[in-house]
Amino acid sequence: MFEAPSIGDLNIAATLPATLLALGACIFLLVDLFVPKDRKYITALLAAAGLLTSLVLALLSLMNIIEFGSGETAFAGLYIADQFTDVVNVVVLFTGLMGVLVAYNYLDRIGKQRGEYYYLLLFTTVGVMFMGSAGDLVTVFVALELLSIPLYILSGFRWPQEQSEESALKYFILGAFSSGFLVYGIAMIYGATGTTEFRGIWLAVDEIIAQDLSSKYLLLLGAGLTLVGLGFKVAAVPFHMWTPDVYQGAPTSVVAYMSVAAKVGGFAALVRVFASGMSNFVLDGATAAAWQDTMWLIAALTMILGNLVAIVQTDLKRLFAYSSIAHAGYILTAVAAAGSAAVTNEAAQAVAIYLAAYAFTNIGVFAVIISVEKDDSSNTGLDSLRGMSRTQPLLAASMTLFMFSLTGIPLTAGFVGKWFVFKSAIAADLFPVAVIGVLTSLVSAYYYLRIVWLMYFEEGEPQVYIPWPLASAISLAVVGTLLLGIFPYLLQEMAQDIVLAFGR
Amino acid sequence: MDITIESLVFLIFGALTLGAGVLVVTSRNLFHSGLYLMMSLFGVAGLFVLLAAPLLAGFQVVVYIGAIAILIIVAIMLTPGLTQIKTLFNEQWMVNLAAAVIVFLVLVSVITPLMDDVGVDNWNADFTEDHPKAVAADSMTTLGEQLVDPDYFMLPFEVASVLLMAAMIGAVLLVNPGQAEDESVVPPEGEEV
Amino acid sequence: MVPLWMYLVVAAALFCVGMFGVLSRRNAIAILMSIELMLNAVNINLVAFWRYQAPERLNGQAFAAFVFAVAAAETAVGLALIISLYRRRKSVVADDANLMKW
Repeated sequence: MFEAPSIGDLNIAATLPATLLALGACIFLLVDLFVPKDRKYITALLAAAGLLTSLVLALLSLMNIIEFGSGETAFAGLYIADQFTDVVNVVVLFTGLMGVLVAYNYLDRIGKQRGEYYYLLLFTTVGVMFMGSAGDLVTVFVALELLSIPLYILSGFRWPQEQSEESALKYFILGAFSSGFLVYGIAMIYGATGTTEFRGIWLAVDEIIAQDLSSKYLLLLGAGLTLVGLGFKVAAVPFHMWTPDVYQGAPTSVVAYMSVAAKVGGFAALVRVFASGMSNFVLDGATAAAWQDTMWLIAALTMILGNLVAIVQTDLKRLFAYSSIAHAGYILTAVAAAGSAAVTNEAAQAVAIYLAAYAFTNIGVFAVIISVEKDDSSNTGLDSLRGMSRTQPLLAASMTLFMFSLTGIPLTAGFVGKWFVFKSAIAADLFPVAVIGVLTSLVSAYYYLRIVWLMYFEEGEPQVYIPWPLASAISLAVVGTLLLGIFPYLLQEMAQDIVLAFGR
Repeated sequence: MDITIESLVFLIFGALTLGAGVLVVTSRNLFHSGLYLMMSLFGVAGLFVLLAAPLLAGFQVVVYIGAIAILIIVAIMLTPGLTQIKTLFNEQWMVNLAAAVIVFLVLVSVITPLMDDVGVDNWNADFTEDHPKAVAADSMTTLGEQLVDPDYFMLPFEVASVLLMAAMIGAVLLVNPGQAEDESVVPPEGEEV
Repeated sequence: MVPLWMYLVVAAALFCVGMFGVLSRRNAIAILMSIELMLNAVNINLVAFWRYQAPERLNGQAFAAFVFAVAAAETAVGLALIISLYRRRKSVVADDANLMKW
C-alpha cells in the first residue's frame, strides 16, 4: 500500500529557493486578481520581492553560509543541490530580477501593464532552476517545458502587434519541434541504459563501454538527438534560425530576460546531461567522450556564423540576437571541453563563470536598447545610438563597458568568462576551437566597437527614456560587469567547488 | 516471427497508426486531418495495450483523443475558410521529404537487426528479444502511486502541474475575449504619435 | 511476442512523418498536428523500451505520462497563439507569418 513518507526523507529544504519561488508565483497569481488595473506596480514589487528572497537564499547557499537540507540530493535523487545548482540559481534569479526592473516601465509605455507578465516570468525562472538542478531526464524535460511555454507566451505579449505574435508563433512551433527531438533522444538514452536518472545512466554507460555492448549506437543516437533538442534552446548553429526573428519581434524586455535565461537553462541541461550523465561515454581507444567532436564542431560553427552575420546587421535587436548566438558558441566550447575526463569539472566551472558574466552584460545591453526604443517598438536601428555620448554620457559609457565586456577586453566580466572557457578548451586539447574562439572574438570587436564609435564619434540626437527602474538595472549591470571583471577571484571562488562527475 | 494473433494485432494497429499518420500530413482538408489524427492516436493506444500498458492506453484515449485531438478539431472549426487549402506544402517539401527519409534510415540503421545484412555491425541481441520479462500484475497501481510518491516522480509531477497552470494562464491571456475591447476603449499610453 | 525492433520502426516512421509534416505543411494547425505525431512516436518508443528492457521499473511509463502532460500544455498554448493570430489576420498559413524564413 501507499504510505506517506516522512518529510525528513525528502530533503525538501534543499530545494528551498526553487520551491519557494514556485509557491510565491502561485500566490502572486491569486493576489494579482485583487490588484486594480492602475496599480500593477504592486504585482511587480511582489514578483521582485519573491525573486530577491530566493536570490538571497540561493546566494547564502552558494557561499556555503547556510546549507539547506542535508546532502546533495532531494526527492530521491531527482533534484541535485550541488554548487552548480547554486550558481545557476543565482544567475537566473538575478536575471529574473533584472527582467522585472527593465519590464515595468516598458510595459507601461507599450500599454501592456498586466500582472500576467510578472508571474509568467517567475514560472520561467522556476523552470530554469529545476533544469539546472535536475537529477533525472524526466525533470529536465518537464522543467524545459516550464521554461519554454511561458516564454512563448511572453514573446507574444505585445498582441495585437503582428510582429510580436508572429515571433511567438515561430518560437512556439520551432520550440515544440525541438522538444520533440529532445524527448526522442531521451527515449533512446532510456532504451540504451534502462533508466532516466543521471547516476543510473552514468553507471549504465560504464557497463556499456566496459562490455562493448551494441547499445552504444543507441546511446550515440540518443545523445545526438538530445543535442539537437537542446541546441535549439541555446541557439547553436545550425539550429539557430529562430533566434533573430524571435528576438526582433518579441517585446524587448522579454528578449532581455530570455536571451540570458533560456541560455542558462539550456546550458545547465547540457552540462547535466552530457558532462555529468555521459562523461564516461568514451568509445574504443578515444581519449574523450564520444560527443565531444560533434560538440566542438557545433561550437566552432556557432562562433563563426554568429560573429560573421552580426557584422552586417543594422538593427540592434537582430545584431544582439546574432551576438547571443556567437556567445552560445563560446559556452559550447567549454561544454565540449567537458568531454575530456580530466577537464570535466574545470569546464563546468567555465560554463558557470561565462553564464554569470554574460548575464550581467547582456541584460545591460538590452536595457540600453529599451531606453532608446520608441513606444511603437521602432527606432531599434544602429542609428538610434548615434551621438549618444553628447546627450547621455553616462548611458553611453555604460554601453561602451558592455561592448568591451562582450568583446572580451580585460578588466570586464566578458574577458574573465572567455579566459576560463579558452583555458578549459586548451586543457582539453581543443586548440583549434580555442584559436577559432580568439579569432572570432577579434571579428566581434569590429561590430561591438562600431557601436562605441557611433556613440562617441558621430553626430546625432538620440532620444532616450530612462525611468529609475531601468536606470537601476543598467547600474546593476555596470557594477556586476566591472566587479566580476576586476575581481575575477569572485567568480573563481564561486565556481571552484563545482564538481560534476559521478563515481570519481 | 510466427504469425500469431498478437503479431496480427500489432500489424493492424501499426498500419493504422502509420497510415493515418501519413494521411494527417497529406490531407488537403484540415478537418479530415484532425479525424485522421484521432485514428492515428487510437492506433498508438492499441500498441500500448499490446505492450502491457493498459493505463497509458486509457490515458491515450481519454486525454489525447478525448481532449487534445478534440481541442485541435474545435480550433479547426473556429478558423473557417482554412479547411480547404490550395497549396498543401511549402516549396521546399521535396528537400524535407528527402531529409525525413534520411533521418528514418539513420534511425532504422540503429534500431533494427535488418541492417545486419547490409553489413552494419550493430546487431543488438536486446532488440530481437521475443520474450521479455513479465510485467508485475499490479503495475497499473504501482504507476499511479509512483507518480505521486516523493521517492519516485513527485518532483516532476509537481513541476508538470505548475507547467499546466502556466499554459492555461497563457492560453486564457492570449485568447481573452475582453482584449479587443480593452484595446479600443483604453488606448495604450504614449501612443500620441 | 513481436520483437522490440518492430515497435521501434513504427515509432521511427511515425516520427519522420511528423517531422516531414512540421517542415513542409503551410498551415500552423497542421504543423501542430504533426508535432503531436512526433510526440506519439516518442511515447511508443518509451513504452516499448520499458516493456522489453526494464519492465521491473516504471520509468518509461511514467515518462510517457509526462509527455502527455507536456503535449496538452503545448497544444493549449499553440492553439491559443494560432487562434489569436487568426482573429486578426484571417490566416494561419505559416508562410504568411514568415515562419519558415530561415
